[in-house]
Amino acid sequence: MDETDLLNRIRDKPENFGELFKLYYQPIFGYILRRTGSFDDTADIAADTFLKAFRNIHNFRYTCISVKVWLYRIATNEMNLYFRFKQKHNSIFKRLSIEENEIFKNLISDDRKEIESELLKHEQFMSVLKALKMLPVKYQEAIALRYFEGKENREIAEIMNINEGTLKSLLSRGIEKLRQKCNQI
Amino acid sequence: MEKENFEKKLSDMTKPEIPDLKHEDLLAGAIINAKDKSIVGWWWLSAPAFVILMLMMKSVFMSGTTLISNIHEMESTQKYMSIIFFLISPLILIIINAFTIKRIHFLSGSPKLVNFLGTVWYNVLIIILSLLILIIYLF
Repeated sequence: MDETDLLNRIRDKPENFGELFKLYYQPIFGYILRRTGSFDDTADIAADTFLKAFRNIHNFRYTCISVKVWLYRIATNEMNLYFRFKQKHNSIFKRLSIEENEIFKNLISDDRKEIESELLKHEQFMSVLKALKMLPVKYQEAIALRYFEGKENREIAEIMNINEGTLKSLLSRGIEKLRQKCNQI
Repeated sequence: MEKENFEKKLSDMTKPEIPDLKHEDLLAGAIINAKDKSIVGWWWLSAPAFVILMLMMKSVFMSGTTLISNIHEMESTQKYMSIIFFLISPLILIIINAFTIKRIHFLSGSPKLVNFLGTVWYNVLIIILSLLILIIYLF
């Protein structure tokens, strides 16, 4: 699908944001889950990411980065904010008024069960994630995007808004630090 | 474990996958219908703006007075009020607008300067006017 066409349609009619949501909600949700390892944190951060994207899409200029990279950038930033101000964080589900609230709660509960059982199947991943969380945030971002999301260096550099040289040295130092942490655990 | 082996282990290990999420459609609807509620009320900024406008009007309609002389006249008669209007308020406006510009730049996908200025011209204007008031008051 042509992203510029979709952006124009969203600008003309905000309801078309649903199409963009459908395209990217699942991958962004996966990225956040593989960074946090928690369903509740992920649901909150993913919803905040798309709310910010919806409110700022009229300012977005396609010429610089793709919508996908833009959403990953917002999600990364939201994760950093969420963990920095977790104590003061007001869950988006309390702020958003969702019609059919009871149905929504039941659906969230079903998804939680499914995701939590999925997390339990990946013991090795969870132990690596535990070690990764002990590293500074910039290493977490680079390693998660490279090894958990399988992204190319060029795309990671765009998401992190750094050049590829800096990314390579971040990855090299980050991997060494992560290896040491994993050996300690 | 060697670094290369460790990298291979990271790439090869299985990772949690996301199934179709049942809450997705209802959440999309809620986001599209969400109203933008700003936490900060801006009404209190109308007071300093009103005072500055009055002083501007005074300098236009009363011969022999200028905005600068009117600001300094107010400074000598109402010291604390003038500090609030001509020092604290412009400083707050500069800080708020600088952060707003930074946030919009990030949320717009870091666009080129020309495109970006079209979006934030209002914030830039407020910063310039606030700086002008600060300079007049301080020098």
